[in-house]
Amino acid sequence: MTSAPRHLLVVDDDTELCQLLSEYLLPEGYDVESVHSGVEGVERALSGDHALVVLDVMLPDVRGFEVLRQLRAHSRMPVLMLTARGNEQDRILGLEMGADDYLPKPFNPRELCARIEAILRRSGNERGAIDLRIPGDLVVDDISINKASRLVRRRGETIELTTVEFDLLEALVRNAGSAIARDELVRTVLNRPFSPFDRSIDTHVSNLRRKLGPGPDGLDRIKSLRGVGYQYTLRHPSGAQEK
Amino acid sequence: MRLHIKVFLWFWLGVVVVSGTLIGLTELTHSRAQDDRLWQEKYGPRVDLWARQETHILRTQGSAVLEEYVGSFQADPGVLNYMFDASGHEVFDREAPKPVLSIVNALMQSSGWTQHVDPVERIIAERAIDANGTPYVVVVDFPEPSVLSRPLFELLSADFSGRPTRASAVRLAAVIGVAGIFCFVLARHIASPIDRLRLATKKIAHEQLGTRIDRDVLNRGDELADLGRDFNGMADRIETLVTAQRHLLADVSHALRSPLARLNVALGLARRHSGPGVAEHLDRIELETERLNTLIGQLLTMARVDSGVGLERWSVFDVGTLVDEVATDADYEARARGCVVAVSGERNCLVSGAADLIRSAVENVVRNAVRHTADGTSVDISLERRAAAGRPSVVISVRDHGPGVADKIVPRLFVPFFRGPHADNNQNGTGLGLAITRRVFEVHGGTATAANADGGGFVVSLELPLYVEGGVGQPHSDTRSTPEEHGNAITAA
Repeated sequence: MTSAPRHLLVVDDDTELCQLLSEYLLPEGYDVESVHSGVEGVERALSGDHALVVLDVMLPDVRGFEVLRQLRAHSRMPVLMLTARGNEQDRILGLEMGADDYLPKPFNPRELCARIEAILRRSGNERGAIDLRIPGDLVVDDISINKASRLVRRRGETIELTTVEFDLLEALVRNAGSAIARDELVRTVLNRPFSPFDRSIDTHVSNLRRKLGPGPDGLDRIKSLRGVGYQYTLRHPSGAQEK
Repeated sequence: MRLHIKVFLWFWLGVVVVSGTLIGLTELTHSRAQDDRLWQEKYGPRVDLWARQETHILRTQGSAVLEEYVGSFQADPGVLNYMFDASGHEVFDREAPKPVLSIVNALMQSSGWTQHVDPVERIIAERAIDANGTPYVVVVDFPEPSVLSRPLFELLSADFSGRPTRASAVRLAAVIGVAGIFCFVLARHIASPIDRLRLATKKIAHEQLGTRIDRDVLNRGDELADLGRDFNGMADRIETLVTAQRHLLADVSHALRSPLARLNVALGLARRHSGPGVAEHLDRIELETERLNTLIGQLLTMARVDSGVGLERWSVFDVGTLVDEVATDADYEARARGCVVAVSGERNCLVSGAADLIRSAVENVVRNAVRHTADGTSVDISLERRAAAGRPSVVISVRDHGPGVADKIVPRLFVPFFRGPHADNNQNGTGLGLAITRRVFEVHGGTATAANADGGGFVVSLELPLYVEGGVGQPHSDTRSTPEEHGNAITAA
């Protein structure tokens, strides 16, 4: 990890919680700025001063989702949503709207740290520009994936993916034709230990499916294998090819 | 039958019956009297003439000729001609009906030429005396006029001939047709606001709380308009209450969880600065915080299900897939104790409901089973379709291989906060899981029951009505194309 503290933005109307969080996160290497309203949140998040936003769903002025929508219109900066526990809809909605991860509130601060770490590691890949292991484009059917620019194109047309969705697609395509277990996807893509009954990976997969659209033969590109995991379906035995 | 059609048919039938009765009654009173008079005026003198001729023929030419003569106008349908001699004996030995005989007896007592007319029985009798001074009684029995054949058609017929014609049928049809149109409009007038009220009620029940009855109904000025106004008042009230409830639940959730969130972070800080002996106590605090949080979550879920607030996202989904997903996760959890979770039975069971609530309800039961099943055993989940009383449903049975539960406390397991005898080694349970499960299934029109399984273990059965509209078969047909069509699907760029 870098020695210079990374700037985080926490958008939550609970001032005391913000205070405790900044106290907790400082020794972990994070410098926390807190704002307590949605409007302010959008404004500060778009300033480009922060590495990541921790965004609460329940805000006094505008819903957290609205903040996320406005933010996503201009920026792909990582967002971790804090949702009410037991409210599946909030979780799904958040991930659908492009949040990188979510954490039900109340949360364990260690868990928060781990999630922030994981997200930053992923987006660090993005900023770090080139992953030397795989030099060229991955091409499957009419989809091409450029590792360097982290761009995904379908018949030349760019598809907007979040960092999680990109990593997920890459993992699936690299193993195209064979299944990847859900717990493995959670570990490698979400960078966290698999816990049963956490269905966020499924939400990410269904978002990815929706964004990619059906394959050239009209079927889903990503197949769910019950009790196993997911598989990028190959229409051709030669597999995904690199150039 | 639809109210509209019902009201229409009843009104129509009413109109037809009433008009038919009126026509019939008029005919039976007024027309019958007139008819009787006409009949008497016409046949009274004729019978007098026939009586003279018949006595004359009998005296001069004998009974054989008379019989021939009588037979000649006997050809008129239904007309019977009798002749009695002074001893009351019928000349041709024929049986005469009772009313005829009584008239004959009465006439025999009188003297000279006397005519007796009975318009009700349509009998005319005459006491005749032949040239030898021998008295006879001549009786002509006419057929009764038919109520239906003539008068009803007389009213409608074009040519007054007494027989139905094409034109009369058209008139009859016209009367019934006009009555029909009138009744249809009337029925519509009554039934259409009821249909609208019904539609509005349905919408309210499906959480479209802004639904109101429109002005068309409210301006009618009758009881249905009052009903519409009462409905709107009720809808206002429900909307206010549900909205308030929704806000309250969100606020309660927020208010209860904010301190817990702070507590967790503070705990994290305390952990960082604590000495070695304190960690154990901090773990305990963390565990209790977690329990409190679970409890709050379940209480809120319970409140949401009860108030219908959690049911906004209603959709049609395959409960088989949902059970598979829950089972996969539970299996992962169970493997730690050498247990497996296996699913068998039907797939493609479409149901309609709030998928997230049903998922957590099923999850409650499955996780309970995993917790209670003995090490190294399996939890068996089976899906089975049933059609009790014509209502197709799917039953999800979750069976563990654990110690089971004493029979007498089985029914109480679904009571909120009931703690079973095994609760001591199950500190993670809040006592609400099964209660929530039952409420969720009941809200969806299903049931949740539990029993000890044959051969040990415990089985919870969850029943849910299948989604019927549009069929319960495969949701989308599998149109898999051949690989040749996309032979070069993956190529180098």
